[in-house]
Amino acid sequence: MRILITALLLLLPTSVLAHEFKAGSLLIDHPKIVETPPGAKVAAGYLTVVNSGEGEDRLLAIESTTISRVEMHASTITDGVARMKQLESGLPIPAGKSASLGDEGTHAMFMDLTRQLKAGEKIEAVLAFEKAGRVPVVFNVEKRSAQKVERHEHQ
Amino acid sequence: MNTSRSKVLRTIRWVSWGLIAVLSTVLAVLWAQVRFSTEAEAKPYATPFQLTDQNGATVTERELLGKPSAWFYGFTHCPDVCPTALAEMAQVLKELGPEADKLRVVFVSVDPARDTPAILKDYVAYFDERIVALTGEERQLQQMTKARYIFYKKVGDGDSYEMDHTAGIQLVRADGRFFGTLDSHENADVKLQKVRRLIGE
Ligand SMILES: [Cu+2]
Repeated sequence: MRILITALLLLLPTSVLAHEFKAGSLLIDHPKIVETPPGAKVAAGYLTVVNSGEGEDRLLAIESTTISRVEMHASTITDGVARMKQLESGLPIPAGKSASLGDEGTHAMFMDLTRQLKAGEKIEAVLAFEKAGRVPVVFNVEKRSAQKVERHEHQ
Repeated sequence: MNTSRSKVLRTIRWVSWGLIAVLSTVLAVLWAQVRFSTEAEAKPYATPFQLTDQNGATVTERELLGKPSAWFYGFTHCPDVCPTALAEMAQVLKELGPEADKLRVVFVSVDPARDTPAILKDYVAYFDERIVALTGEERQLQQMTKARYIFYKKVGDGDSYEMDHTAGIQLVRADGRFFGTLDSHENADVKLQKVRRLIGE
């Protein structure tokens, strides 16, 4: 039985296994980018930050050597109209809580792409936090899942 | 004598008022019927337009009538809402199986400055090769979207502008009459059911 479980675990795609980064009291869970269609100049990235510390922190910026421009955005759908705006003050990570790019239509916006990003690729990036400082991470490029919809309705 | 005469007059007055009441009711009903039938016969998707598809061919409203269709308006510099809608439509086509022949899926780019037919070709093919991608002159796009109550607007300038745009997928009958929308918050099963109802009409 144990051998069977081990064998099954080995068969699991790597994305299911832990993919996380630590910086002080912050844990950055599973940064990912959704595979882009050919010709697309932008990609959406998502991640979760868990703050087990006493004080609030804030994700201020994302940088990447591979992709020249990365911004943090929120897509909203209000009265049937889709809009996108910058997260002007970054992503706050309250003490003892977690926050995600992916909640409420938020995303890391990878821009000015010069080529298609394909599932299986790994994109190196640096997350700049207000207190935890600069944290190197890797975004896994993953296939779009048909069921999971990374956006939310605002009325 | 006097009293009987005034009685007659009063009767005449009552009858006249009665006739006016009946007549106005009839008129009101007729007006409502005419109005209702005009609305039911409105065919926003049969109003003329001329755009270009992903193969560079000119497409007018005529080529896209004749079978039910699902329309989405967006742009390729859109990171989440547009690819999600296209992925959902690709999923619908896949789940319809052979029935997918009864549905046409159309993606209209409201960002012709950046979305050339060549870019659109690769982009939509990634989701499903059966999806028709259209774009064209700004004036044509404005005329078409206005007739269909579709909103879009450029926000910002330079290279990094965004497009605000209607987010729902529009379902359209074969003759160009509006059928309904697929809203972004509905789950995949509800969307599939609505499409099945459209193509089963
Ligand atoms: Cu964005």
